[in-house]
Amino acid sequence: MGPLNGVTIAIVLFGIGLLGLILRRDLVVKLLALGLVNSAVILCLVALGARPDGAPPILAPPSVDAIVDPLPHAIVLSAIVINFAILALALVFVMLLVERYHTTDANRIDRASNDEEDEWS
Amino acid sequence: MRRTHLLLPVIAVLLVAGFCVTVLVGFEFRGTIEHATAGWIEVAERTGAINVVTAIYLNARLFDTILEVLVFAVAVLGVHFYLTTRGRPERVESIPESNVIRIAADVLLPLILLVAIYVVVHGHLSPGGGFSGGVIAGTGLLLTAIAVGTETVAARFGPRLIERLEWAALLGILVLGLVPVLVGRTPLSDLLPPGEPGRIASGGSLLLYNGLIGLKVLIGSWVIVRHFVEHRGEI
Repeated sequence: MGPLNGVTIAIVLFGIGLLGLILRRDLVVKLLALGLVNSAVILCLVALGARPDGAPPILAPPSVDAIVDPLPHAIVLSAIVINFAILALALVFVMLLVERYHTTDANRIDRASNDEEDEWS
Repeated sequence: MRRTHLLLPVIAVLLVAGFCVTVLVGFEFRGTIEHATAGWIEVAERTGAINVVTAIYLNARLFDTILEVLVFAVAVLGVHFYLTTRGRPERVESIPESNVIRIAADVLLPLILLVAIYVVVHGHLSPGGGFSGGVIAGTGLLLTAIAVGTETVAARFGPRLIERLEWAALLGILVLGLVPVLVGRTPLSDLLPPGEPGRIASGGSLLLYNGLIGLKVLIGSWVIVRHFVEHRGEI
């Protein structure tokens, strides 16, 4: 395997996603970055289980002896479903925040909620 | 201020990248991949499934899969709870779609549902299973919702019935995992005989689990989509 394999690409994508998660201020873009991080993890796991000229893990006649490792595929399934669940729930929370503060900018929401706390005290 | 703002994230990313590289460099395969897959092929042969991945996540690691379905159910419940306690959405008049889309949706919906059923039923024979089949069917319902409006589709189903059916599917999965105890086997083990590999009626309980998970995911994704569309509102 050369340097340009699935694992290195996954690490680069993970870094891009993490930077987007920290640096971007738009909440929806943050969630997209979270999805990118999740895809990078999936790519890394599947690439670790792959092998050159391996067949898909289905025991049909032509491919019984040279299948790829099926365990990452089974684990990745949980990751996909849970990512879907997290994104759906997080989008609902973003929706509630937008309805209250009329912006998706994390800093402005932060400032507005601080102002509200000052008013209360 | 601005500099520390950038410095911390970069340090965090470098730390994570360093961690990943260290782990991967120090990673050592014990034995060969043939050695690792041989055990999983054994599991597949014991359950009678051809698709080894399905045999893993619905037999050897069934406990994880059930908890994963629970996480999905909690997320659907969360979306439902937060969006219904927000009060009824103001009705946004849906713009009637052109006839092309409506007729295309009418033609495509049965085909999409047929593909979904095929993917669910062949889950232990070919790539697919309950999760992907359920999402395919949910997408078909979304297409109809685009064509005729979510209210029409929701009224056709009956929201009360569909919510009960969703929790009944979840309960069915849990009960199906516990029934082997009554027969004197360990919980979460196979209930039905493996059967002849390659037939649809094979693979022990995998077909039942796939069907119930497909129903659960179909209704769950439909509930999420319906709530998102109904509360789209205007900013």
